[in-house]
Amino acid sequence: MQLNTSASVISFAKQLEADSAAFYERMAERHSKEKEVFLTFSKENSNYATMIQRAYYGVITDAIEGCFAFGVETDEYAFKREPAKESGLTDALNQAIDMEQKLISFYTDAAEQSKALMADVPRTFLIVAKKRKGREDKLRRLLKET
Amino acid sequence: MAILEEPIKEIVEVKNYIDGEWVRSKGEMQNVVNPINGKVIGRVPVSTKEEIDAAVEAAKAAFPDWRRTPPVARARILFRLKELLEANFEEVSRVQTQEHGKTIDESRGETRRGIENVEVACGIPTLMQGYNSEDIASGIDEYLVPTPLGVFGIIGPFNFPFMIPLWSAPYAVATGNTIVIKPSSEVPLSQIRIAELADEAGFPPGVWNVVNGGRTVVNGMLDHPDIEGITFVGSTPTAKDVIYPRCGATGKRVIAQGGASNFMVIMPDCNLTALMTSFFGNAGQRCLAGQNVIVVGDDERFYKEFVKGVVDTAKKIIIGNGLDEEVQMGPVRDTEKKKKILSYISTGVKEGANIILDGRSDFKIKGDYPDTCFLGATIMENVAPEMKIVTEEIFGPTMGIIRAKTLDEAIKICNDNPFHNADAVFTSNGRTAREFKYSVNSGNVGINVGIVAPMAFFPFSGMPDSFFGILHTQGKEAIRFFTESKVVIERWP
Repeated sequence: MQLNTSASVISFAKQLEADSAAFYERMAERHSKEKEVFLTFSKENSNYATMIQRAYYGVITDAIEGCFAFGVETDEYAFKREPAKESGLTDALNQAIDMEQKLISFYTDAAEQSKALMADVPRTFLIVAKKRKGREDKLRRLLKET
Repeated sequence: MAILEEPIKEIVEVKNYIDGEWVRSKGEMQNVVNPINGKVIGRVPVSTKEEIDAAVEAAKAAFPDWRRTPPVARARILFRLKELLEANFEEVSRVQTQEHGKTIDESRGETRRGIENVEVACGIPTLMQGYNSEDIASGIDEYLVPTPLGVFGIIGPFNFPFMIPLWSAPYAVATGNTIVIKPSSEVPLSQIRIAELADEAGFPPGVWNVVNGGRTVVNGMLDHPDIEGITFVGSTPTAKDVIYPRCGATGKRVIAQGGASNFMVIMPDCNLTALMTSFFGNAGQRCLAGQNVIVVGDDERFYKEFVKGVVDTAKKIIIGNGLDEEVQMGPVRDTEKKKKILSYISTGVKEGANIILDGRSDFKIKGDYPDTCFLGATIMENVAPEMKIVTEEIFGPTMGIIRAKTLDEAIKICNDNPFHNADAVFTSNGRTAREFKYSVNSGNVGINVGIVAPMAFFPFSGMPDSFFGILHTQGKEAIRFFTESKVVIERWP
């Protein structure tokens, strides 16, 4: 599905954050060794959603055609929302890395599409993308240690 | 994606807000209808002359104490109002969509614009400073003190129910005046919500009043000897023939903002991609809408590319319930307005315009809603400057395409039009841009910007027949409008 409006893209971003938070909560339940890491990730997602909404509310104006700001294809950023039940930590970490890559890709693309319209929104998208890159690196380190 | 929850779930019985109290009107009640589905969401009174008189009396009584309240203390109440508006940002935005029909992005944009005016007015301790000269003669000093005048009336339109009264209200009260707001009776709920928040913010009783209604209330304001000035946004006939002369006759200050028929001048060297999204916002119901497009030059390939681009873009617009976040255009406000828009399109055809996208029938509504107030985007070619669809304000999702041989001809078309609200040029040539902004007689000029909406710290400008008065709403001009210059010359022998 293609999303064109600012409102729908912001809601999509918030949904992605909620879904990935739920994913990490499940990871924490199933893999007690790295429980704290996964719970921290889950909590961070809520902060990201707040940052994104605040940026959007702060700059959306009637002078900007917010209804025509984006062309986000949601299917490109789909990820498995539930860690595979039977999988071990290695598989789960690989799944998490895949999810983070999808989210980094979403935020980078959305920032590019909106940069001409709303300064704070693309900046926030890029901040979240950067933080997620840091998270991806951490997941890779955990994978090596596993 | 789910449709957002409606904030108004039961029919709101609208009351007046007078002297810090919510008062039931003795006037008849009218329905407030959600244009998306035709449901009644409120009942608004047609208030009586006695009720507007009572509001003015309360505002007059509140003035002396409010005027003596230090600007920094007044600013603190405005800061609280800003905090409350931010805290209720989503709710007040959804109320706008529900009562007006605009998309949620447009409503949130309107909310932000309104809040920005409150933010600017919070700077009143600095904005209201006067100036002085020491020793204008030996031992004599002279200084200017901006002083408030008393009670002001603020009359709002239907197209921006939340924002437009905030072009005036925060500045009026920040400068020490008291106000009576008359919202549009079609969309009164946003102003009622703002008044509730103003009450919570701590404005003393009588400083901020709201009286709902129609002509009786407007006439009551215009004729009232205790109202010092009026700000009005609405149609040109009302601004020009009613508000402006009546304020002159009764000695009131006035800002009367009327209609528009704006032009977007397209040069062959422009960036078409940047241009395509600058049309049809707010379903064309805004005085900054790009009603007319002038394509300059005889480059047929460019012209065809442009026309194809706008038609393809317009065809893809998702029309429906503004609370559906995917929707890009909502309905027009009511059936009467839809009828008027349809009539203009028919007139355009009779006068020789050629419809290349017919928004009367060629559109789909997302979701199960009646088409009562919905229209698609209409694009007409072969439009001439003297046609009614150019010389009059349509206030709907239409675009008429005119052709001009040169930039000078395009500027002449803009300047010969009776309205001079907002005109824009799209070009990559600096010299063209300069010539356009220098020569076009328009209050708000855009260079590669289609919606020329001044920020809160700039005046919302306009020239006749789009504007009547001298000073404008917003920013420093609003401060000037709401204050008188008191000059003091002082000697201490």
